[in-house]
Amino acid sequence: MDKYEVVVIGGGHAGVEAASVASRYGAKTLLITHDKSKIGEMSCNPAIGGIGKSHLAKEVDALGGLMAKAADKSGIHYRVLNSTKGQAVRATRVQTDRDLYKLAIQELIVSTKNLTIKEGSVIDLDIDDLKIKSVKTDSGEKIFTKSVVLTTGTFLGGVMHTGLEQSPGGRIGDPSSEKLAKKLRKLNLSVGRLKTGTPPRLNKNTINWDLLSPQSGDTPTPLLSYTSNEEERPKQLDCFMTRTNKETHKIIIEHLDESPMYSGVIEGVGPRYCPSIEDKVMRFSERDSHQIFAEPEGLNSDLIYPNGISTSLPLKAQEALVRSIKGFEKAEIIRPGYAIEYDYFDPKGLKHSLETKEIEGLFFAGQINGTTGYEEAAAQGLMAGLNAALQTNNKAPLILRRDEAYTGVLIDDLVSLGTKEPYRMFTSRAEYRLILREDNADMRLTEKGKELGIVPDLLWKTYLQKKELSNNELERLKKEKIKPNSPEAEKIHLLSGETTSNNISLLEILKRPKVFHHHLPQGENILPNNVIDEIEASVKYEGYIKRQKADIEKLQRNENTPIPSSLDYSNVVGLSNEVKQKLTEARPESLARASRLPGITPAAISLLMVHIKKGRRLVG
Amino acid sequence: MIDSRTIIAPASASGRGGISVIRMSGPLSNKIAKEMCGELAEPWRFKKCNITSNNGSLIDVGMVVFFKSPYSYTGEDIVEFHCHGNPMIVNLIIESALVLGAVVAEPGEFTKKAFLNDKIDLAQAESVADLINAQSESAIIAANSSLSGNFSKQVNGILDELTEARVFVEANIDFPDEDIDRTHMENLNERLIKLLGVVSGLLTSVQDGVKLREGYSVAIVGPPNAGKSTLLNLLARERVAITSDIEGTTRDLVRVPVNLAGLIIEFIDTAGIREDPENSIEEEGISKSIEVINKSNITLVVQDSTSVKPFNVELGESIVVMNKSDLMKESQPNDKNAFYVSSVSGEGVPELLSELIKKLEVDEGGETVFLSRKRHEECLIKGRDFIDESLEGLRQDLGLELIAENLKESHNVLGEILRPMSSDDLLGEIFSEFCIGK
Ligand SMILES: Cc1cc2nc3c(=O)[nH]c(=O)nc-3n(C[C@H](O)[C@H](O)[C@H](O)COP(=O)(O)OP(=O)(O)OC[C@H]3O[C@@H](n4cnc5c(N)ncnc54)[C@H](O)[C@@H]3O)c2cc1C
Repeated sequence: MDKYEVVVIGGGHAGVEAASVASRYGAKTLLITHDKSKIGEMSCNPAIGGIGKSHLAKEVDALGGLMAKAADKSGIHYRVLNSTKGQAVRATRVQTDRDLYKLAIQELIVSTKNLTIKEGSVIDLDIDDLKIKSVKTDSGEKIFTKSVVLTTGTFLGGVMHTGLEQSPGGRIGDPSSEKLAKKLRKLNLSVGRLKTGTPPRLNKNTINWDLLSPQSGDTPTPLLSYTSNEEERPKQLDCFMTRTNKETHKIIIEHLDESPMYSGVIEGVGPRYCPSIEDKVMRFSERDSHQIFAEPEGLNSDLIYPNGISTSLPLKAQEALVRSIKGFEKAEIIRPGYAIEYDYFDPKGLKHSLETKEIEGLFFAGQINGTTGYEEAAAQGLMAGLNAALQTNNKAPLILRRDEAYTGVLIDDLVSLGTKEPYRMFTSRAEYRLILREDNADMRLTEKGKELGIVPDLLWKTYLQKKELSNNELERLKKEKIKPNSPEAEKIHLLSGETTSNNISLLEILKRPKVFHHHLPQGENILPNNVIDEIEASVKYEGYIKRQKADIEKLQRNENTPIPSSLDYSNVVGLSNEVKQKLTEARPESLARASRLPGITPAAISLLMVHIKKGRRLVG
Repeated sequence: MIDSRTIIAPASASGRGGISVIRMSGPLSNKIAKEMCGELAEPWRFKKCNITSNNGSLIDVGMVVFFKSPYSYTGEDIVEFHCHGNPMIVNLIIESALVLGAVVAEPGEFTKKAFLNDKIDLAQAESVADLINAQSESAIIAANSSLSGNFSKQVNGILDELTEARVFVEANIDFPDEDIDRTHMENLNERLIKLLGVVSGLLTSVQDGVKLREGYSVAIVGPPNAGKSTLLNLLARERVAITSDIEGTTRDLVRVPVNLAGLIIEFIDTAGIREDPENSIEEEGISKSIEVINKSNITLVVQDSTSVKPFNVELGESIVVMNKSDLMKESQPNDKNAFYVSSVSGEGVPELLSELIKKLEVDEGGETVFLSRKRHEECLIKGRDFIDESLEGLRQDLGLELIAENLKESHNVLGEILRPMSSDDLLGEIFSEFCIGK
């Protein structure tokens, strides 16, 4: 009877992944968004990846998602951050051509089977008996569905600020979603306000490039997706750097009372990391300079994105501050920077599947959950879309654990702890950082995806090949030894300070600090970098990973002890009122999750364990 | 619910009675016991054996008994060591078991295991909860009181220092592109070496503290001829101090270990302290007395109740004892806070002793004090080793993420003592330290 199994509202980064995965799974899916031509639009910085974020993008890729592929089709400047550190914290960052990125996403999504795309604005949700029934669009159409994935980004009650002027909107040039926001506020979900901002865009032709210092991309140039190839990639461009100075800071301080954040007009909470240049100047007054990357928005675009001076000062002040910067003396602002305030829903109201606890069949993903960033949105979109599709087919949801994926860390953090500021991924949020690497996202996830039927053939084939190459190479490293007195043996001795002998395998030698795969005698196959990275990381991290695995196992046992959702914490003997309140608020789904809440002591966990067991014994 | 922890703790309060029982429960207990006692007898049978440490040296001659799962208190494999009631021996046995893979039991953990394995019935569940709570509370109190504010101050200092080091390391990992001040990284090595020293130092003092505290010492002071030595003789039930009626006879310190309700308490009789000693020998005795007062857990100030003399020596925790109550005339004033005893008749002595035990905070807290200190020791050892490993990593030029890993582990275990830190707290520290953002 239902017309659709999954309806995705919003064609941003969360929405496209949700729609794509639901249809890959085979669910009859509809994507409704304001404007088809804006599907895949990057509201802010045209870049994908970076530390922690590239890990998310790779995970989405390993499950057949779109983001990394689109980034490779539009990438004009690639860098590997932390390249001097170990594999676990190396991260690819791709600057993209904004238009090419959007185009790539649209191409990928349009060709998806089982998916219908519709233009329109959703103004109402029909909920009956705490179950989602249908959605209503502004053209009056009523669309029946078993589940809804809401990915409306910054559009709910969005208000943009430039100086003390404000206007409603979801992003520059787009309307905000007022009616839907009103509807949602009436539901029993807890709403908050957050803010973020973006810098002005400059005219490329008005910048004195000679005064800026160039920074070229990395060679060899990496790829973000496991299945992209070199040929798809556009031409590469350089980035440029400059800095703010004392004069810039003086201008900012003079105009501070016109900044909506400092004049108190914006009440939403911004992130603790400094999003705006106003924040940077005020909070770190001892610094008289901050760096700026001048990033091209595209191959044929005249827009330059000055990364580092996000601001919501009035246009006049923006002009003055931009022109105080070396190289920008005559720069013309094409589009002013602005701050945006919007509604988000406390993600503690979500299950780990990203379904709302309150309303069956209603899933939330992306910025609406209090996150910021394309990759964070995409990862949630994928999980919410998949879980919506699974649920409509009466299947258990896919829930990734903290030791399996950054996606798992992201969702677990959100739904267990909530967030008070725009949440962004950092590697330090992951306790199993050494296991969650760029080089092994496919090893961690692709088989799971394959079992669920959401992994495209090309990805599966690539994965199998990589696995085989990697296994063969490991076998070789275990078997082969270095000939004593050979030039290689000499080299290893020099590097590691230890001699080699007839009975030490290459694998053992690779364990030594300062010895890397390329120092060893090579086999017949030429190995792709990600295979070498995976082998090197698993060998070098072995001891640490063993330790972490032991931790995980311990945690796993508690993870497997569910806390009944009906549990009344006020009845748990021995818990302090403070702990009772925290648990009642957070409603953790398992003992392990309870133990990760701040302020929950091991003694409290023991008390809970006893209480749960008691309940079980009463029943059976 | 399977539980892989093998836990260990003394089952009788520390030092009480002629023997001590140490109980160990969990999957490794049989194996650990075999390594320490050789082949065990069949289950539920005692075996007399040499209890040896993990490296094979003899600790004590005692008994060992194995309770095979599921027929044991906790429902798991349990081993009990019965050894001589000496805190040092108990400590050594537990330490060896820890090295061999056991961990120190958490408050109420034996009972919790028993409950989870259906070994105690539902009605008892409430009391399990109470037990966990009471014991963890008293462990906290014990941790605070027995290890003094100074201990938590030092741990806090270590945690602050670790946080700072981690802020630099993590910021360098998560924000390599930001222009943050990288000079901090240059002296990371130096910082960590210093930190290692501080942690090792604290560990040594905790370990010394453990040894000190397992025996208690009580100083006996007071004006000359108040009857300190007679009181001590009564406590020891044998004449140890020389007594005479001439003031100032007790020139040298007399130390008498007394087994009081299973507790080993060392009473130290000091030279009588007077305001103005006539000769230098006396003076020397007095400075010795002051030293003893400072080192002991508690001081008994003994006065002659028939002629109370002013006594102005700085004391820590103390109990005033009015001796010679048998000679007291009815009309004399009664000091409410003092204990009136007669060291000739023994009158009032039991009351004094129970007050003494209460003041030493050893009656109920005894076990938990011991365990909580043991846990601190464990945390400090692990924390130290992880810092050491991160230093080794720096020396070998390993990736920064591995240094970070060891610092995190160190922070985790040391944080258990006082305050754990979440990754989000750490990010907060990074953001307040460095200007980070697009
Ligand atoms: C000004 C600004 C600055 C930002 N700065 C940064 C930054 O510096 N760093 C960073 O990582 N991230 C930044 N972001 C955030 C980043 O753009 C978002 O996190 C990301 O795009 C969120 O993806 P999403 O899918 O949740 O939502 P969006 O990409 O915002 O997509 C929402 C989609 O939903 C559609 N929609 C909304 N309401 C309806 C409706 N009722 N009916 C139908 N369709 C609807 C919209 O048309 C849109 O296509 C910024 C965003 C803005 C607006």
